[in-house]
Amino acid sequence: MTAGATRPAGSVHGWVDHLRAGGTTPWLEWTDPGATDGSARGAVPGAQQLELLRRINLARESSAQPRGDHDRERTRLADRVLAAPAAGRGKADLPLAGTASTGFGARPVDPATVSPHELLRVASTLLADDLVALGPDPVRRSVARPWRRRFRLVGDPLVVAAVREHLLGRGRPEGGPRPFVVAVGGPLDDLLAHTWTQRCFEHGSRPWHDWLRFWRERDQLPARVDLDDSVRRWGGRRPFVRVVTDLDQLAGHLGVRRLPRARVPGADQAELARRVSAVVGIRVPVVERPALMRTLQRRMPDSGVGPVVVPAAEHEWVASSAERMARRLTRAGYPVVGDLADLAPRAAADRPGPAGPARVDGQQVLDLAIRMIVDPGWRTERSVER
Amino acid sequence: MSRRVLLHVGCPKTGTSYLQDVLFRNQPVLREHDILYPADRFDAHFLAALDLMTLPWGGIETEAVGAWDRLAAEVREWHGTSIVSHEIFARATPTQVERALASLGDAEVHLVLSARDLVRQIPAEWQENVKHRSHITYARFLDTIRDPGRESRIGSWFWAVQEIPDILERWGSSLPPERVHLVTLPPPGADRGELWRRFSRTFGLDDLPLDLTAERENPSLGVPETSLLRTINERVTSIIAPPDYRPLVRETLAHQTLSRSVASARLGLAPEDHAWARGLSERWIGVLAERGYDVVGSLDDLLGPEAGTFADPDSATADQLLPPALDAISALLVEGARLRAVEERLHDELREVREELDRARATTVYRARRKVVTTLEGSPAGRGSLDAYRRLRGRKG
Repeated sequence: MTAGATRPAGSVHGWVDHLRAGGTTPWLEWTDPGATDGSARGAVPGAQQLELLRRINLARESSAQPRGDHDRERTRLADRVLAAPAAGRGKADLPLAGTASTGFGARPVDPATVSPHELLRVASTLLADDLVALGPDPVRRSVARPWRRRFRLVGDPLVVAAVREHLLGRGRPEGGPRPFVVAVGGPLDDLLAHTWTQRCFEHGSRPWHDWLRFWRERDQLPARVDLDDSVRRWGGRRPFVRVVTDLDQLAGHLGVRRLPRARVPGADQAELARRVSAVVGIRVPVVERPALMRTLQRRMPDSGVGPVVVPAAEHEWVASSAERMARRLTRAGYPVVGDLADLAPRAAADRPGPAGPARVDGQQVLDLAIRMIVDPGWRTERSVER
Repeated sequence: MSRRVLLHVGCPKTGTSYLQDVLFRNQPVLREHDILYPADRFDAHFLAALDLMTLPWGGIETEAVGAWDRLAAEVREWHGTSIVSHEIFARATPTQVERALASLGDAEVHLVLSARDLVRQIPAEWQENVKHRSHITYARFLDTIRDPGRESRIGSWFWAVQEIPDILERWGSSLPPERVHLVTLPPPGADRGELWRRFSRTFGLDDLPLDLTAERENPSLGVPETSLLRTINERVTSIIAPPDYRPLVRETLAHQTLSRSVASARLGLAPEDHAWARGLSERWIGVLAERGYDVVGSLDDLLGPEAGTFADPDSATADQLLPPALDAISALLVEGARLRAVEERLHDELREVREELDRARATTVYRARRKVVTTLEGSPAGRGSLDAYRRLRGRKG
């Protein structure tokens, strides 16, 4: 079958039924003309929804699924996919190539050619709805230890969020009277990547490159990355401030023996979270979004993709910004744990772990999204502490 | 009284802001006449549309949670006629249309689409894009919307909200044609009240004592003003976030400053584009006539005016841009001065609060207690003692 031939409406509905039943035949290979005229049925979903469902079916075929309510669960998921809107201002729902057309509206397409970006618009809606239905994981708290050291954490948002949560669970909440302001630093390119990544898991963000360009063209640093400004914002005064660039020593300055290493989400995870966050923002009141996104951050499965990295074209700006920040911290005279030279961006060769991408690969993000839709483990398991 | 819903789904740039403002401000009068326009804020139906279509919109969508369901519930509970109106409903997909119509219950639904000729809509939509942060040139915009594949975001949005036969097919295919009302905008030079009369007749507002004062409109810009704004966008779109762009650029610059230059040339279409737009409109008119909708006005209105003198915004000269640029600088300086005054006032208030705090702390007893607390906070045992003391006293700080 070619995209040029016109097919009866029954053929479209037959393909929809085929997909609902777990079928994986691509639209252009679908030859069944269909028995019904389909006029009494509802609107045909767009190519985005149909192709996503086909890809989900393909992924289900290749994954070990539990038996039992398998058929009912599959149909329920299929109906959700077909009804899910493609979030955001992308293309309208696209009609299928070869179907009868009025000559108006979007041009029909072969669903197999729909881009990962378009499929992700639907997938992120499904995952956002799953997340909202799951609800936020409870935050672990212990009775505050009276003898704890009072601290206020600023700096690297990824590390700070993880440490803050860990300490809260151990009876050491942030704040209190006259706290030490502890500014967590590191190579500025890492700080920028961590900040964008953490934003994706909070209120969402612009895409990585747009976000970076926003700050580079302003020649400013995001509030949480600007350590000097963060310390001043919290009223830090010299003896009660620590600028920590050596993370191995951070625990001691917070009054504990050890801290867990912060898990840095991969570029695909951050990008998927960014998209899911946008939909969650329209599903729940704004105050409820951070807790839900934290839950997603804790539960999102690993995929082995490295975190985003600052592209080489931005290194000069990052290096000069790091020098400027180091100068300001030196002039302020804050005690430094480590070395302010560590704020300089690192060469790619010096970076531990898998090399992250300078651009987020849409296909990797889509693969992760489909994996999360197919395998509900991330939402059915109990809260995981990382 | 029979329950009816008048669902006005577009198009953008067809006088919808004025209509919605009149409906919003006259809610009590409308209710007295059994007409419901359910809106607790001016943009309530915009939020409902964002919610229905899962459409993030520069952060505003966070205020739209559950807005469609609330609106639909109010409509279902109303005993008389309800009006729902926002132009971005035009973009809804068939699945979203099904959901929307189903959620309105068993009321008699009438679909209303207000429409203007493409010859005027195309420049107006480019201008609207420019007022929403875009720096696409006019020529590129025209290329984009003339691309049959509609691959770009701008192209797909434009046709989704402006292709009249498609919008009416998506929204009206389940309704009898007599319940689909196409309100055409009068041609240029028509009596200024004619559009309102057409709206009034369609929505059943004739003879109601409504306050029709224009409080809120979406004014258009002249050619050099739009060109200037586009050039500004080239510099600022990547570095000004949407929450700052809206008040500073769209409101202060575009709506309150640049739109005042009424003597500037108005934007139109170049002869070749004009011929293309008219040809397309003729085809639409033929299709719409066959469908038998209730047309308020005349389908001929959709053909558009004859080609006029074309002023190309992409080749506006520096001399033409200078006057609006100076207006823009003046407006931003005045706005900067206003914001400085606000900042100064806040500093004054903060200073007063600090002074009061200092006066409260200036006593000998306070200083002695502060010294004890500072000493205790230096050791774990001291911190534990302080914590226990504070718990006994029932306070945290």
